[in-house]
Amino acid sequence: MKILIVEDEPKTGDYLQQGLAESGFVVELARNGVDGLHLAVTGDHDLLVLDVMLPGLSGWQVLETLRRSGKEMPVLFLTARDQVEDRVRGLELGADDYLVKPFAFSEFLARVRTLLRRGRSGMESTALRVADLELDLLRRRVARGGQRIELTAKEFALLELLMRRQGEVLPRSLIASQVWDMNFDSDTNVIEVAMRRLRAKVDDAFEPKLIRTVRGMGYVLEAP
Amino acid sequence: MIARLSLTARLTLLFTLGSGAVLLALGGLVGGAIERHFEELDRAELTGKLQHAQHLIAQVDSLAQLERLSVPLGDAFLAHHDLLVQVLGPDQQVLLATPDAQFPSRLQVLETDLALAPLWTWSQDGKNYRGLAATFPTAMGTQVQVAMAIDSEHHDAFLRTLQRSLWLFVACAALLMGLLGWFAARRGLAPLRSMREQAAAVTAHSLDRRLPAQAVPAELADLAATLNEMLERLEEAFRRLSDFSSDLAHELRTPISNLMMQTQVALSRPRDADSYRAILESNAEEFERLARMIADMLFLAKAENGLAIVQDEPVDLAREVRDLFDFYEALADERHIVLALMGDGMVQGDRLMLRRALNNLLSNALRHTPPGGRVTVTIVRQEGQLLLRVENTGETIPAQHLDRLFERFYRVDPARQHAAGEGTGLGLAITQAILRAHRGAVSAASESGLTVFTLRFPY
Repeated sequence: MKILIVEDEPKTGDYLQQGLAESGFVVELARNGVDGLHLAVTGDHDLLVLDVMLPGLSGWQVLETLRRSGKEMPVLFLTARDQVEDRVRGLELGADDYLVKPFAFSEFLARVRTLLRRGRSGMESTALRVADLELDLLRRRVARGGQRIELTAKEFALLELLMRRQGEVLPRSLIASQVWDMNFDSDTNVIEVAMRRLRAKVDDAFEPKLIRTVRGMGYVLEAP
Repeated sequence: MIARLSLTARLTLLFTLGSGAVLLALGGLVGGAIERHFEELDRAELTGKLQHAQHLIAQVDSLAQLERLSVPLGDAFLAHHDLLVQVLGPDQQVLLATPDAQFPSRLQVLETDLALAPLWTWSQDGKNYRGLAATFPTAMGTQVQVAMAIDSEHHDAFLRTLQRSLWLFVACAALLMGLLGWFAARRGLAPLRSMREQAAAVTAHSLDRRLPAQAVPAELADLAATLNEMLERLEEAFRRLSDFSSDLAHELRTPISNLMMQTQVALSRPRDADSYRAILESNAEEFERLARMIADMLFLAKAENGLAIVQDEPVDLAREVRDLFDFYEALADERHIVLALMGDGMVQGDRLMLRRALNNLLSNALRHTPPGGRVTVTIVRQEGQLLLRVENTGETIPAQHLDRLFERFYRVDPARQHAAGEGTGLGLAITQAILRAHRGAVSAASESGLTVFTLRFPY
């Protein structure tokens, strides 16, 4: 997966590049709009991460020119300004998602993966499996090591999210939005509690432990 | 154009025009009265002379006497040099006439009754005449026509002089009145100028200044009071703004200083990887909190400026509450808190914002409900409003804090500012801003172990 980042702020650019590279992506970095547009038009990227405020050529202009030249790769906008008009304008120009600075890297990574997954829908599998943990979407059943586990509807949705995106660190905000449709950060430890309960059912009595807390970032489910 | 004239100029102009008009009318009235008076004088004089002629004519009892009538008539009337006389006998023969007597022909229509005879006026050779004519019978029964006129020149001259002086007087008086008006306007408007000076002295640093509403005339007192109210609102808004900036700086200072210290201490000597990891993890949590605070503040700023209402759709409050209960179910369950919902209701607004407002109240209630407690949400219609009450058991909030709960960064216990599990201190302020943006209100009450937050929506 090849990602192009167009970002003029040196530290932001460097860390985004490093973070994505360490997550297994091939990353190119452009420091201004003109270079970014050139790379985007000539290269073959699966995703474009575009800062709105760029020297030379703004993010809007880059996106507009890019779309006119027939490039259809998904675009994730980054901006320091959170204005409804900006958001609408970005989406009208064909941006696929929008992140307002400051944002958590885990949130950024989750959005990147969602965008890359989009369009490659294919067949959604009806059964998920990580190590000896099995989740049957049709019959809505969960079993570990062949032993049936009873989950509430929300616990099931939470586990499904973690298993579908196994190996990815999921930030709390993403979990809240995907499982409960709450699009804001709660200032309570509600996600921790929900997670603890899920682990009590799925992990506590079993080895190895599959769900892991990544402090300061979120949660990940993966086979060790 | 008149709107641009100064008040003083306007009042002066109105004074001048007004007094000029009044004086002109008065002058016209006086002039007219004098002229009528002169007419009556002339008429009385002519009537006297005609009566004299009548008397002489009435004594004529023979043709010889008629022919000699010119003698007594001449004696009686020819001596007056500004009197025109013409006496015609029964056969229209001239019995007596002053040399230049030329009476207009309409004077020949003669009345026998003097009191009814009209007074004629005409000009001749540059002179103005008033004339009276009548027919008198002689003792023989024949008719004698008598017409007399007097030159009204001296009266006219007097009138002309009077008119000239009246004009002059009116002009001077109008000017004088204008001057007086200007002076009065300046004096009368002096309080306005002093208000202007006081208002000019109000700056951002002296917003506590007020205009002297008591010391100005009644007409201006209202204006002064209104301006004072405006100043009060400005002062309040300004105070909030500067409080906000200093609160903000303060709120950011503590976590940033912690982060700085922690990082510098960590760097001061080599450590093992686990220590570095622990420090970075702790930093990440702190940064996340800061990011959330910034997002909250931006949201608050937008909501308070009415920029955030994106949607105006029907929102089912009960459904939103149930969704939030779903979200908090695990948390409540773990702490043995019962969540209950009663009633339902629809409001118009932005669903995401309203959900956020409700979430802030619920998370706040959950945070302050002790294990084994209860959080009850009630939706009722009351007095034309839709009320949503979030009620939780727990420590009573002292009354002096209740109103201030909705201020940004206000905490009942300042020591808990950075305690784990505490919010950014903006939740209730955001709730209030969202409610205001929906033309609603939020209030808090707390007594005997029960705290209630009430959202009021216009219904």
